[in-house]
Parts: sequence; structure tokens; C-alpha cells
Amino acid sequence: MSDFTDSFDSNINDALMWVSDNANTVFDAIRATLDAVFKSVNWLFAIPPYWAVIGIVLVAGWFLIGRTFAIVAAVGLWLCFMMGLWSETMSTLTLVLSSTLIALIIAIPAGIFVGLTSGLLKASDVILDFIQTMPAYIYLLPGIALLGYGPTTAMCATTLVAIPPALRLTAHGIKMTPNQFRELGQAVGMKPSRVVFSILIPFAFPSIMAGINQSLMLAFGMVVIAGIVGSGGLGQSVYDAVRTLQIDQAINAGIAIVVLSIVLDRFSQRLGNVRLGGRHG
Amino acid sequence: MDSIQISPGSVVGPALSWLNLNHHDVFAGIATVFNGAVSGIVTVLTYAPSPYVIGVLALGALALSGWRMGVLTALGLALCSVLGMWQATTQTIALVILAVLISISIGIPIGILVSRSKKLQAAVRPVLDIMQTLPPWVYLVPAVILFGLGSVPALISTIVYGIAPMVRLTILAMSQIPQERMELGRAVGVTKFGLLKKIELPSAMPTLLVGVNQCILLSLAMVVLAGLVGAGGLGAEVTRGLTRLDFGLGVRASLAIVAVAIIMDRVFRNAIPQVYLSKSLN
Repeated sequence: MSDFTDSFDSNINDALMWVSDNANTVFDAIRATLDAVFKSVNWLFAIPPYWAVIGIVLVAGWFLIGRTFAIVAAVGLWLCFMMGLWSETMSTLTLVLSSTLIALIIAIPAGIFVGLTSGLLKASDVILDFIQTMPAYIYLLPGIALLGYGPTTAMCATTLVAIPPALRLTAHGIKMTPNQFRELGQAVGMKPSRVVFSILIPFAFPSIMAGINQSLMLAFGMVVIAGIVGSGGLGQSVYDAVRTLQIDQAINAGIAIVVLSIVLDRFSQRLGNVRLGGRHG
Repeated sequence: MDSIQISPGSVVGPALSWLNLNHHDVFAGIATVFNGAVSGIVTVLTYAPSPYVIGVLALGALALSGWRMGVLTALGLALCSVLGMWQATTQTIALVILAVLISISIGIPIGILVSRSKKLQAAVRPVLDIMQTLPPWVYLVPAVILFGLGSVPALISTIVYGIAPMVRLTILAMSQIPQERMELGRAVGVTKFGLLKKIELPSAMPTLLVGVNQCILLSLAMVVLAGLVGAGGLGAEVTRGLTRLDFGLGVRASLAIVAVAIIMDRVFRNAIPQVYLSKSLN
């Protein structure tokens, strides 16, 4: 039995080595691209001073979601600043938003495609189930081996984790469009591409938005875990603090994570309700 | 940067340490009980060589949810054993079973209680929302501070993490009970307890079972994640693979986790009588 596991391990490790030796240029390119994305988004978030960001959240929260939320969120973010965790908070936000963005760019078109072809739905379900049952942080492992230590690995793993919910819910939304409306489009002589853009996508919109919310929250959970591979940000603060037993630091970073996750969740949920006539809460 | 800083951690941290120092016996007691329970289940599961245990578990799955699930269980667990992960698998199974049982026995009564009053529901809902929004990692931090590294903080944070969906679905289940049934019960003069046992719980069962299924899957994810704080089991193997850059080990542990997750999900889902499922779809 141990023979089998030994040869299994060495085969897999060798394969990974081979890939990282032979496809070096590919991974370097991926790394450079993701690094550039990360740096430019991070730069963008670093420009406005902390009070401007808090002000934007306060005003947007006040008008879009509700007074209580706006005040709680603003106080929470101010607390993040006062705890000296502002730059970590912003780089966590950068990681979450940029990896979710990449994930959505892949997932929404793929979801529309899958939703339109009936045969693919089953196959994609199997793959997505597999991606989702694997413990999320296993994706960090090939990431470290191929891309090295740092935010790039975190972004790759996070993107992978954020794809399934958006893809699934987009496909679901497209599938759920009542057949009459599809037929209506065909009857008035729309081109297939127009049927997709002016009938199917508007119908699937709430479902797509729900998918974005879920992807965002999963991405957030993953970014926090990705602190182990040196992603920077709040996740790494927690991890480092726990390892060095700095309890107060760990708790501070934990509070910042809680604040950020609530802010992200409410805003993206609100986004999903835009078409449904706005539910204040 | 501002020179004035606020650090809630430096208040909460010492408070937790104080708890730990001055009520150490309480936490040590809790830790001993949970450790005993976990190692008890592990001892039972590893008492016989793995083929026998797998056989017994597969027969259990067969009795619960049919021969297909029996075969699935046997194959899945055999895969874990072939991958050299049997010991870790038993630990993970023990942690999940224990955590789910405790989450259910806390979550369902709370849910029933909360469903009785509209005010309580309005108060509890935001708390549940926040609990389910937080990344699971956050739950591990206070547990580790209070209980140290090991399987006890993992168990505690898994229980806490599993309670929220259980409470939410219990509230939902109680609100879906048809009013006529309740009126019928009252009309024939059933006692309050009888009403709960004979009418409410059976009517709520389909949704409750969905809640239990969710609770199982979330708990498994949390137990695996808790490998980061030395909880043992399959999660610890993944962490070991990650920190030692031993990709093979990580892949083996992950495959075992996938096998366990699929078994737990499918066996439980198929154990739910079909009548319930078709009802809950309506």
C-alpha cells in the first residue's frame, strides 16, 4: 500500500516539476499579467485618502441600502483605519475585486453558452461540482509550485473558486427563461444574437446578479485563506498574528475582515435587487 | 498615518487570555469531553482493519438508502484507504459526525423557539445573515485562542458555523406548516407538546432534512479548513502538503475529501424518503 502512495506522490510531483520546467514562459506571462492587474487596481485604490472611501461608502450606502447600514459600514471602515489596517484592507479589496472580475469575464459568457446548449449543462455540472467539493485551499498548492509565493497565486486560486457559482447561476437564469418569450423573439424575426441580448439576458439578470454576489463572497473567503501563501492583505495579517500568537492583532484583523465582508455582501446583494424594484433592508 | 490608534484586540485579547487563565479548568473540561468523544469515535472506526469497517459502513449506507449508495460508500471509502488516508478519513468523519449532531441539537430547538415570535425572528435574522456572510476562517481565531491548537477548537468553530443554517431552515420549516393541520390539532385538543411532536415536527421534516444536509456539507468544509489549526484528519494532510510543497500528498488528501463529501451528501440525500422530496418541491 505504501508503495502505491509513494509512487503516486512522486509521479504527481514529477509531473508538476515537468510542467513548471517546460512551460516556464507561459506561467511567467500569466504571472506578469496578473501582477499588472493587481498593481494597477491596487494603485487605483491607494489614490483616494481613507476618508474619501469612507465617504463614498456612507453616501452610497445611505441612498442605496439604508441609514443603519450606511452608518455601521462607515464606522466599521473608520475602525479599520484606526486599527492601522487600512492598506491591508485596501489590498484585500483589490484582490477580491480583481479576481472576481476575471472570474466573471470567464464565467458569464461561459454560463450563457452552457445555458443555451442543453447537452453541456450536465457535463458542466459534474466539473463544477468537482471544483466546489475540493477544499478550496488545495488550489493554492499548484499555484505555489507554478507561480511562486505572492498575490498572483492567491488571485489564480481565488478566480478558480469564484467561477462556479456565477457560471451555474447564469446558466440557470438562461435556462429558466419562459419558452414563450424565446418564441416571441423568433416570431418577430430577431437574429439569434439579439434574442440572447434583448430577451434571455434581461430575464436571467436577477439570477446572474445573485451569482455575482455568491462569487464575490466565495472569493472573499478564499482571499482570506490565501494569506497562507503570502497574498498580503488581511488574510495574511490574521495568519501571521495567529502563528506568532499576537492575539490582539489577530482579533483586529478579524474585525476588519468582518466589516469588509458585510460591506461587500450588502452592496452586491443590493445590485441584484436593482431590477426587482429595490427592496430596502 | 494617524498616531492615535484604536485597537479593540488589545481589550478583547487580554480578556480572552484572562478567561483562559482564570477559568482554565472550564475550558480544559470542555476540551477533555470533546477530545474523548472524538477519539472514542475514531477508536470504534479503527478497531478493526479498514476493509471490515468499510464493509460495515457500506452495509449501513445500504440499509439507509439502497444498494447503489452501499456500493458508492464501499468504493469511496476503499479509495480513501488505497490512497493511504484511512486514519485521517476516520478522524474527519468523527469530527463531522460529532459537530453535526451537536449543531442539530442546538440549532433545531433555537429555531423552533425563534419561530414562535415575530419579534425574535426580526432580531435573529440579521445575526444569522452576518454569521453566514463571514468567511469560516474568522470562527477559528477565537476558538484557537481559547482552546489552543488541535481538534477541539476545530470542533467548536464547526459547531458554531453549522448552527446558523440549521436555525434558518428550522424557522423556514416551521413557517411552512399548513395552518389547517395546526387547527386540526387544536380542535381535537392535543397538548402543546403533542402538537409539536405529532404535527409540527413531522410537517416540518422535509425542510429540516434539507437543513441537516446543508449543515453536513458546511461542517465538512469547516473541518477540512480547520486542518490549518492542527485539527488532524484530512485537512491536516492537505495543510501538510501545502507547507511542505508535497503536491502528491495534497492531491491524495483532496481526493479522499472529495470521496467523503460525495458519500456524505448522496447517502444522506437518498436516505430522505422520496415522498418528502416531492412534497418540498411544491
